Amino acid sequence: MTSPADHEELTRRAFLEKCAEAGAHTFLFGSLFVTTAMMRLPQEATSRTVGPRGGTAKEVIYGFVVDTTKCIGCGSCVRACKAENNVPDGYNRTWVEQYTFFPNGEVIVNSPNGGENGFEDDLPERNMPEEIGQLPVRGFFVPKLCNHCIDTPCIQVCPVGASYKTAEGVVLVDPQRCVGCGYCVQACPFGSRFLNPETNTADKCTWCYHRITKGLKPACVEYCPAKARIFGNVNDPYSEISQILATNRVQVLKSYLGTRPRTRYIGLDSEVI
Amino acid sequence: MRHAKHFVRLFALLAVVLIAFLAVRAQVVPKDFGTLGRFRASAIKEAAMREPRHLGNEACSDCHAKVNDAWAAGKHHTPQCENCHGPGLLHVKVMSEDSVAAYPDRIKAFPKALRPTTGTQECLWCHLKTFERPSALKSIKNVERHTIEKGGTFTAASKCTDCHNPHTTVVKQ
Amino acid sequence: MHHYVTEGYVLPNQTHIYWTTMIVLYPYITGIVAGAFIISSLYHVFGKQELQPVSRFAMVMAFAFLLFATLPLLNHLGHPERAFNIMFTPNPTSAMAGFGFIYTAYLAILAVEIWLVYRSDIAYLAHHAKAPAMRALYWVLALGVTDVQEESRRLDHRVMLVLAAIGIPAACVLHGYVGFLFGAIKANPWWASPLMPVIFLLSAIVSGIAMVLVCYITVQKVKGRVIDTACVQSLIEYAWYSLIIDVTLEMLELVNHAYVGNEDWEILKQLLTTKLFVSMFLVQVLVGSVLPFFLLGAVVVFKDRIAAATRHNIGLVGGVLLLVQVLAMRWNVVMGGQMFSKSLRGFLDFKVDVFGRDGLLSAVALFALPFGALFVFSNVLPLWGSIATDPKDRLSERSLDSVQPRRSWH
Repeated sequence: MTSPADHEELTRRAFLEKCAEAGAHTFLFGSLFVTTAMMRLPQEATSRTVGPRGGTAKEVIYGFVVDTTKCIGCGSCVRACKAENNVPDGYNRTWVEQYTFFPNGEVIVNSPNGGENGFEDDLPERNMPEEIGQLPVRGFFVPKLCNHCIDTPCIQVCPVGASYKTAEGVVLVDPQRCVGCGYCVQACPFGSRFLNPETNTADKCTWCYHRITKGLKPACVEYCPAKARIFGNVNDPYSEISQILATNRVQVLKSYLGTRPRTRYIGLDSEVI
Repeated sequence: MRHAKHFVRLFALLAVVLIAFLAVRAQVVPKDFGTLGRFRASAIKEAAMREPRHLGNEACSDCHAKVNDAWAAGKHHTPQCENCHGPGLLHVKVMSEDSVAAYPDRIKAFPKALRPTTGTQECLWCHLKTFERPSALKSIKNVERHTIEKGGTFTAASKCTDCHNPHTTVVKQ
Repeated sequence: MHHYVTEGYVLPNQTHIYWTTMIVLYPYITGIVAGAFIISSLYHVFGKQELQPVSRFAMVMAFAFLLFATLPLLNHLGHPERAFNIMFTPNPTSAMAGFGFIYTAYLAILAVEIWLVYRSDIAYLAHHAKAPAMRALYWVLALGVTDVQEESRRLDHRVMLVLAAIGIPAACVLHGYVGFLFGAIKANPWWASPLMPVIFLLSAIVSGIAMVLVCYITVQKVKGRVIDTACVQSLIEYAWYSLIIDVTLEMLELVNHAYVGNEDWEILKQLLTTKLFVSMFLVQVLVGSVLPFFLLGAVVVFKDRIAAATRHNIGLVGGVLLLVQVLAMRWNVVMGGQMFSKSLRGFLDFKVDVFGRDGLLSAVALFALPFGALFVFSNVLPLWGSIATDPKDRLSERSLDSVQPRRSWH
């Protein structure tokens, strides 16, 4: 016998599934705008995995923390990522931004080649507004990568179902289905996606899905000498990332867009957009 | 209905087009599309299948135990082998096929199996002083000035590794 | 490859502009479709008799442009061979996934409607065309049915009314949808706006009417035929009213950006005063909106006090200006949204290539294709009147109810 609560849950679930199905059909027959109300359809894989400590099966949900206070701007992450994932020149799955603040409030942001070759000490040559003529007051580096949002604008707009989310919350592209329309590239507020000129399909950070599924860390995390990148299962309270999330104040990029990023930041500044 | 014959034919035509579309669709769409969500389920497996290119220090120490021991005993732990030398997968693939004796030939045949190191650039990635870099990190403003300050002679061919051992950061004499 | 000059800080993956001339051309073409269809429906459904001279042409023109509407899209896709994925595995949350179905449905409606309008001509030609091959062609086009008696035509007319009644909202959806594609991108402050579908639709109507106006006057002039001044006057009036609503909404959008002054206004302001200054304020607003507003407005307000020939010329010039306005608007929306980085700190330059897949030449060639289709069509069926009613006077068709076969074939 199922408890009334379970029963209610089941019928509710069945009902929601019915709704989803009906919504899909309505759409197929040309009613585009009606379906926008039923947007929460499964684009996320629903297979469950057993939790790390057995017992109640709890999904592995990956998370990523970037501690900008630790980043030294060496570009190791960018180089590791590019080599690990064969990222073509001129494109980046991850990159490092350099922020320099001047006394008059001027902010200069820079990311030569995505930070792949590190950063030069180019303050004197940097295109400083003349009237500043002073030394900067503050500066830091901000590594960026795909935020693997919970409410992804990129998956939402993919017309052919070539963008999807795994059960662990990782946002991926199926290069065999992608038509290369570029709509997801436009829809990503963070510039995390690009059209790969070699495959002519959308490309993005996968959190090194081929590594994390083998128990390894993403290349950028593994080869960050400053330990500025932390990756792990946020559903495991004993994981490093859970500890960090429990003891730090974190932020996300462009929170006002409501994409609910799974990549979180320590030490962000309001000038970091 | 006597005068609707052309509509009957029109609907027949439309029906043929629709059936043809559905038939093609049934053939073309992968069977596992939609089983896990609105995407091709085996795409997940394919994404997970790819071979990692960075192998980790342990894999390197299989052959390069001596330098790995020195690294482990030294105080330059944050960068690992592949930080400076690049991903090892291709290198291992190329080298494991032959004996160590064939090494110079194979290096020539596959020069890009590892990233060629310059002995200066790799150091400056982290140790060049820029304003934004945290000051706790040991860093230098300029290689030439640093060499002179430390009593060395700077030439165009000078490298950091002339004086420093990057695997341990012990200053050579 | 394009050379993109970047200024300020542009996110590393944004140093390339992915949507270029083809994506400018695509909404331009579908816009003309929607506008032309609405003109033809004004006659066929709403009985605006003064539009009778262009009613058939407008419908066929809509069809000709619609036929090639997918080409710019296919030409820009990374994998055009996978284009049908959009209909095989559509993603219900994607506005773009609606395209395949909306487009196909609309194409079918339009094709059937044209078929019904031309059925008596097709049936007539299936019997009377000179070459046997042509007779066979018309027979196939008639689906082997050449019954165009009174009752059959009456049924056709009823079906046509129903189709047009569906066709008008379908035309609006087809084009409103294009606006929605841009308007629903919250990542891009230059696009994200609920006004976008409405603006796209209104400018679609403007461009469609303008294209009919320009083609009608040009063809009549070239062929040395009489221009129906009442028809031109009516087209000018519809174009003028649509222009006013269209430009009002466009400016409302702009003023709203400036007045609300969100964090993105700083970069949009710079965009408007630098990269988009010429194409926005000079071309779209001054040349494309203000000038035709006064030119066409004069015709609307003073009507008969202006000589018919002058009105025709104003219609021609004004129509061309409106076509420029809408093209500039498409450019400013599509390219403007990609000329600044999502870092809100940098800009990209875009220069159109002459050659290449999305170069100027291929854009011009693509835009010429619908006209080629119109030419082919005009050799198969009359664009401006009916053969079945009176082959000598192609402009004699007054309304569908008067369409009578000259002979009975049964």
